[in-house]
Amino acid sequence: MSALEKIEQGIERLLMQAPYYIDPCQRHDLLLALLKQELAYACDRNPRFRNYVEQWPVDFRVAEQIADLPYLPVGVFKQNPPLTLIGSEEIKRVLVSSATTGQSPSRVILDTATAKRMAKGLVTIIRDFIGPSRRPYLVVDTPENLLARTEMGARSAAIQGLNSFATEVVSCLRASAEGDLSLDRENLLSAAARWKFAEVLVYGFTFVIWTQLVRSLLREGLTLALPQARVLHSGGWKRLEQQAVSRQAFSRGVAAVFGCSEDRVLDYYGMVENVGVVYPDCAYGNKHVPAFAEIIVRDPLTLAPVGAGQRGLIQVCSVLPTSFPGFLVLTEDLADVQGLDQCPCGRRGLSFRFAGRAPKAELRGCGNIEDTRYPQERKAGVA
Amino acid sequence: MSGLIQCIDSPDTMVCATRRLREIAQQKALAPQAVIEILDQWSAALEGLNDIPGVAFLRLWLRRGNLESIVLRELGANALHGEWREEGRARLRAFPLGVVGHWSAGNIAIQPLLSLTCALLGGNGCMVRVAGRLVAITQRMLEKLQAVDSGAVLLERVVMASFDHTRMDLHGAMAKTVDGAMIWGGAEAVSQVRALPFSPWARVLVFGPRLSAAAMDAETWGDPGERSAWCRRLARDVWQFDQQACSSPHTLFLERGGGCDPSEFVAALRHAFDEENRQHPRLQIETALTSAICLVRASWLLAHAGNRAVFPPSPDWTILLGAGEDMPYPTQGRTLTVLAVDDLLKVVSKFDGTLQTLGLGIRDAQKEERLAQAAGRHGVDRIVKLGRMHVFSSPWDGTELIRPMVRLVRHVRG
Repeated sequence: MSALEKIEQGIERLLMQAPYYIDPCQRHDLLLALLKQELAYACDRNPRFRNYVEQWPVDFRVAEQIADLPYLPVGVFKQNPPLTLIGSEEIKRVLVSSATTGQSPSRVILDTATAKRMAKGLVTIIRDFIGPSRRPYLVVDTPENLLARTEMGARSAAIQGLNSFATEVVSCLRASAEGDLSLDRENLLSAAARWKFAEVLVYGFTFVIWTQLVRSLLREGLTLALPQARVLHSGGWKRLEQQAVSRQAFSRGVAAVFGCSEDRVLDYYGMVENVGVVYPDCAYGNKHVPAFAEIIVRDPLTLAPVGAGQRGLIQVCSVLPTSFPGFLVLTEDLADVQGLDQCPCGRRGLSFRFAGRAPKAELRGCGNIEDTRYPQERKAGVA
Repeated sequence: MSGLIQCIDSPDTMVCATRRLREIAQQKALAPQAVIEILDQWSAALEGLNDIPGVAFLRLWLRRGNLESIVLRELGANALHGEWREEGRARLRAFPLGVVGHWSAGNIAIQPLLSLTCALLGGNGCMVRVAGRLVAITQRMLEKLQAVDSGAVLLERVVMASFDHTRMDLHGAMAKTVDGAMIWGGAEAVSQVRALPFSPWARVLVFGPRLSAAAMDAETWGDPGERSAWCRRLARDVWQFDQQACSSPHTLFLERGGGCDPSEFVAALRHAFDEENRQHPRLQIETALTSAICLVRASWLLAHAGNRAVFPPSPDWTILLGAGEDMPYPTQGRTLTVLAVDDLLKVVSKFDGTLQTLGLGIRDAQKEERLAQAAGRHGVDRIVKLGRMHVFSSPWDGTELIRPMVRLVRHVRG
């Protein structure tokens, strides 16, 4: 059996488990062993990645903690060409993050196997929160984002990741030639009338749901009367915070528009670099980690893992990808660790709450130059 | 707000304060020697504040011997006592410019005070903006000045002003009313201050934004007997001001030769960095800097399979080893890129004016002479021995520190 086949078997075993109920110590050991195999495989496939791993202060082969394994900062996925472990002929899909203005997006390379695992991972997680049944699926986005493409944005990927739960899919926004979004009332209202009292899955980016759907319907006092709707949203709070919309106000507004209870509105955290893993809020407002993944929250001063009650940088770990080295990724997001195995919802392992993006660097003294006086190409030194 | 640092919240208050400073500067002559007397006592009084980053340098700067030699060099003989100096049929004497405004970098604790002393030696009044994060530290140092300046000879000429950096109305009022400005800081901050509405006659002196680098020849870094001493010096230069000063080295160029292996030097450097870190551990860090350090480590090693790096699991320090003649963009946070090169002269000839200080470890005096000449031609303002990159002295950034903020008055007797 090849190294890759062994890895694939290990991943499958973890994907078949109930995602949140394995003993944390047992899960740690399973993940550690599998991640070591994946690191060794990635080193064989990519000499530059091997160079990084070999210079890491701890030899991953003898590491006893996942926290000691070599992780990549999320910024390296903005490199072009993207980091990959496969040949160009094996590329099935490229996931592209939604970069903020002026920044390069991350690019993540998927082969068929990783894409399948991504879908499976997502379904395993979401099923634990909303149940396994298929139901009508309302997408708060444009029809264009329902189309499968080789290069796919974060919004498309998130939307299409939930297709497995859908009996039919309806989108309720349209885009003008200039790219401006507006509500497709006809589509929305006819779907709502058809689906009355049925279990309905709704998904959209947090900001899009609020600005394109909730705000205008609230203004008109219109309710869709879908009391069995499950509204999932992701994509971050930054833009809504800028508009002084709190999480509570968001959930209240969404619930009012759909005519459902607030506890049917589910926020989750995720990113394209952490394929197949998302972190929905449980009934107690905490986020949990599935069997095939891990979260380490690191103190920015020491980069050591922090304990319950402490805040730090989020490192995401996942065994799912084999097409790019995204097993261990240090993000630029912050989290508060809630507990190590004590959430009343019953899900095991570390629980955490997302605490926003790390603040941007402040001005850094008179050594902070913007560029050379006479522009010239700055090259990285090479041996 | 403390008594020594005023919270200014209206342009009118700023204008009034500046007007009062100008009146004092015009009415009461203050010879450099009188200033030096007090500053020298202040140097001694600061002994207990070594926990403040840079205080050791501030104390050296404030010493009588240092300041007297700078005044004599910049203002000439007789200047210490504020007397006229004969020059042919005429005579010259330095008079204050009036009120000097000081905008210093928000992260160098001693910079507002260093800047202030330069203008005080010229007899000027000083309006000093103190960044919010430096208020408490500056207050502690000023209390020591207050204790030795019993007649408020210096302090009556100084207004330490604290206001939010976004208050452009206050920045503007300060700029409009000063006669000179000493501006220190990074690219964005300096650009913003330079764009303020200064009077047409105001003299504006800018320090930064600049970078610094170090260079060693093979005879020096390849000598096992001297290696650890050089590494200690280099570590000291990297650690001071957490590599945020314009005089902080970010790149070390090692000239190849004699079959010496740069990896051996880096091994010694690692020990020096470990030791410096043990003595001066970082107590806090911006999260964004931690992210930047992690990113540069990964980017460096992923860029080329031949690149090397040494770093601990923490973000405490980072050494990146590779080859090439171009300086990588600096990361700060005690990140040093070590580049092996064939010819230091070729490296220096590529400097473009961004580089302020070149720290050298060169055994051959003639070679050092050639490097210094080339560096001067290519925009470097300070060429010093490694370990002394932050020793604050005049000229700094290629310009004098006291003379630009005085008027040299020429009296041709009838």
